[in-house]
Amino acid sequence: MRYSEITIRFCGIAGDGIVASGKILAGACANIGLHVMVNNIYSAEIRGMGKSSATIRFSTSKLYSMGDGLDLLVGMKGKESIIDLRDVKAGGNVIYDSSVIGDVEEEDSLVSHITPEIQGHGLPIQKLANEATGTNQGKNLVAIGAICYFYSLPPEMFVDQIKSVFVHKGDHVIDVNIKAFNLGYEYFKEHYPLNNQFEIDKTSEPRALTSGNDAIAKGALDCGLKFFAGYPITPATRIMEIAAKELPKLGGWTLQMEDEIAAIGAVLGAWFAGKRAMTATSGPGLSLMSEMINLSVMAEIPTVIVNVQRGGPSTGLPTKVEQGDLNIALYGGAGDSPRVVMAPSNSEECYSGIQLAFDIAEKYQTPVIFLSDLFLGQRTETVTIKENIDRDRCTRKKPTSEQLENFQRYQITDDGVSPQIVPGEPGAVYSTTGLEHSVTGNPNYEADVHSMMTAKRFRKFESMVSDLPEANILGDETAEIGIAGWGSTIGSILEGMELAKKQGIKTKLIKSIMIHPQHEDSFRKFFASCKKIIVPEMNYQGQYADLLKSRYGITPIEIHIPSVNPVSPLKIVQKIMEASSELSK
Amino acid sequence: MSFLSKQSVVDGFQKAKESKTKEWRDNLPTWCPGCGHFTGLHGLYEAAERLKIPPKDFVVVSGIGCSGRFPFFIKGFGLHGLHGRAIPIATGIKVASPELTVVVVGGDGDGVGIGGGHFPHAARSNFNLTYILLDNSIYGLTKGQVSPTSPMGMKSGTSPYGNIARPLNPTTLALAYGATFVARTFSRERDMVSELITKAIQHKGFSFVHDLSPCVVFNKDVTYNSLNDVTAKLPDEHDTLNRSNAMSMAESTDPVYQGLFFKEEIPSFDDHVKQVKDGLKH
Repeated sequence: MRYSEITIRFCGIAGDGIVASGKILAGACANIGLHVMVNNIYSAEIRGMGKSSATIRFSTSKLYSMGDGLDLLVGMKGKESIIDLRDVKAGGNVIYDSSVIGDVEEEDSLVSHITPEIQGHGLPIQKLANEATGTNQGKNLVAIGAICYFYSLPPEMFVDQIKSVFVHKGDHVIDVNIKAFNLGYEYFKEHYPLNNQFEIDKTSEPRALTSGNDAIAKGALDCGLKFFAGYPITPATRIMEIAAKELPKLGGWTLQMEDEIAAIGAVLGAWFAGKRAMTATSGPGLSLMSEMINLSVMAEIPTVIVNVQRGGPSTGLPTKVEQGDLNIALYGGAGDSPRVVMAPSNSEECYSGIQLAFDIAEKYQTPVIFLSDLFLGQRTETVTIKENIDRDRCTRKKPTSEQLENFQRYQITDDGVSPQIVPGEPGAVYSTTGLEHSVTGNPNYEADVHSMMTAKRFRKFESMVSDLPEANILGDETAEIGIAGWGSTIGSILEGMELAKKQGIKTKLIKSIMIHPQHEDSFRKFFASCKKIIVPEMNYQGQYADLLKSRYGITPIEIHIPSVNPVSPLKIVQKIMEASSELSK
Repeated sequence: MSFLSKQSVVDGFQKAKESKTKEWRDNLPTWCPGCGHFTGLHGLYEAAERLKIPPKDFVVVSGIGCSGRFPFFIKGFGLHGLHGRAIPIATGIKVASPELTVVVVGGDGDGVGIGGGHFPHAARSNFNLTYILLDNSIYGLTKGQVSPTSPMGMKSGTSPYGNIARPLNPTTLALAYGATFVARTFSRERDMVSELITKAIQHKGFSFVHDLSPCVVFNKDVTYNSLNDVTAKLPDEHDTLNRSNAMSMAESTDPVYQGLFFKEEIPSFDDHVKQVKDGLKH
């Protein structure tokens, strides 16, 4: 068979080297110029009951989501992978460990659950791993060797990857892992002679791999991040770890604080001192930050908060994805508390979007909540990031010498933005407060002052729109079915639209990294041109649909998926078909 | 202690506006006449004047409560933030801009009640901050409820049958948390307050001044008179280099000692950061 796209899943328990398998396979595929996306699924426990899986999808064309179904499932010893058999496509393949048959009860054995429409391939994974390494390690490499042969991928690329993944573990580990890889390769060559061929364009350039979390950290560092304060939380911790390592080299610093309130407090302090600062958290942390976000609104101190959404509420599902934090991001504050909410849909947008978040926060002296999610944050994908490095970037409105003479920190202006001076700069001093205040910053509770200041704080959200990117409209402009999506669900929507197109159904999509504020005219025009509007998202309530309904008066078909896994494109296409058949009635 | 008339306070401040500390004076304080906080504020003016801290490089961060209004009375940059959260905000300012002089001011409810979780971490990190805790053992701005430092048995709006919990002692907490400069003062002793605040700001590392600062309106249990009866200066021979000795002196309730309990010179947070950054250059 000839393939141009493959999805493979490694499945086992924590400690089986599942994540490393994904890394090696993805790295090798990216090096030969393929498009790759990797999603790791693991439980919230570090050891013991923890099932772990890595799904790697690679293709000759651009990937937007994890797609649907597996071409190949690799199950390590144990029953963990049995449930994943249902994800294998008809005609798909399974590699199971033939050296452990008999060690486990039949009902716990993967091979005994393989149905006739799936092809099983025995591989003595444990035995060959023992032979190569003298230990139980290296099982993953045996499987990768077999896969390399099975899809006739170039083995030299894998050897390079093994070297780079294990470089910090020394030559011996590299040697035994290469041996394990070769044993797996040779076993398959001998027992399952080649009949598959993956189409590789030999002229393709190697592609870069990144995750959403990495792209956010890099984007922030490249646009002048000087200070990061955070508190470890899945799935956002990696952003802090990168900041901790890189900031000191760039003259900045990262603080691990005692809780999320302290983290956002320190970030506000750094911004007050005129330095670009950021924190990254997830739902429970964002909840704790609510009062500080309000201080940021009231005192007009910029701040940037990355929220990598996981399943909620409460501690919820720490290692599963959901888009359930839109409402708290938009509305999670006492009083009239406007804030910017952004949601990137892929790693490229994580990089460019976080830079925009800093520019907007600093220029408009407002909190910006940057809503990523676990799937986008942790998945690895091949990307083309357009680097934009300017670490001295500053968009703060500084006072003129005239304004300095009788400095008013909260001067009323047409665009709502007042000039800001920071500690250490000569010319004027001021005090700020979370109390309502007059133009000087002194506490003031008069009705007209409160009205004037509230209006000023909201006016900034009108004036900033001209600085924001337009919404993107993708698909067929003449389509009567329109889809509005946000965040990482966009990827599944795009693939769902492709599938619909193959069925002869035209669709179009409106997407914007800006959730609030938005270029509302573009949305109005788009919705006016649709006969059916579909709004898919990963939450139970339809939080984005609610926003669009109240803002644009539309009545969409809503797809609510309280999710633990990324949205399947098939679910999207199903709704598209339904909408299409209703239209043709 | 008699109440001061409002006019005498205003007159006093008009006079003060011509004083040597005028460069650091801003809005007139809004506290009740007789409030202990006036002494703490005076002490901070004096310290700023003695150390010639340029207002542009002077940042005062406060929480919420009567003491929270400090920044508006001082010429410098000020941030009146959230209840209990002055320390983390000040930390961000100081770590982002180490060249600034950053002073945190808060009350007992702010510092060891709602914000009690921040104090230990600022102390153990030895951030180069000065933290002045103005302790009146009452929630004054909400008109008189027990605080974490109120004595047992104290009756208030929210403890009508008497306070059941034992009071915290912020001085011993600071010592236990690893603060490298720990002092206690009483607002009746203006010179001592000014002197210790000055020394605290000069200290390289986390300095803590626990100022007993009575509320003359709502606290009928902890008053100038009651404190006058129990407070005493630390003996001259007190060894400020010995933390456990400082701890036992700070625990004493009769007398309640004032003065510098402890001071040690170890690398501050800024020194450690500098060392890391210098190491990365090579």
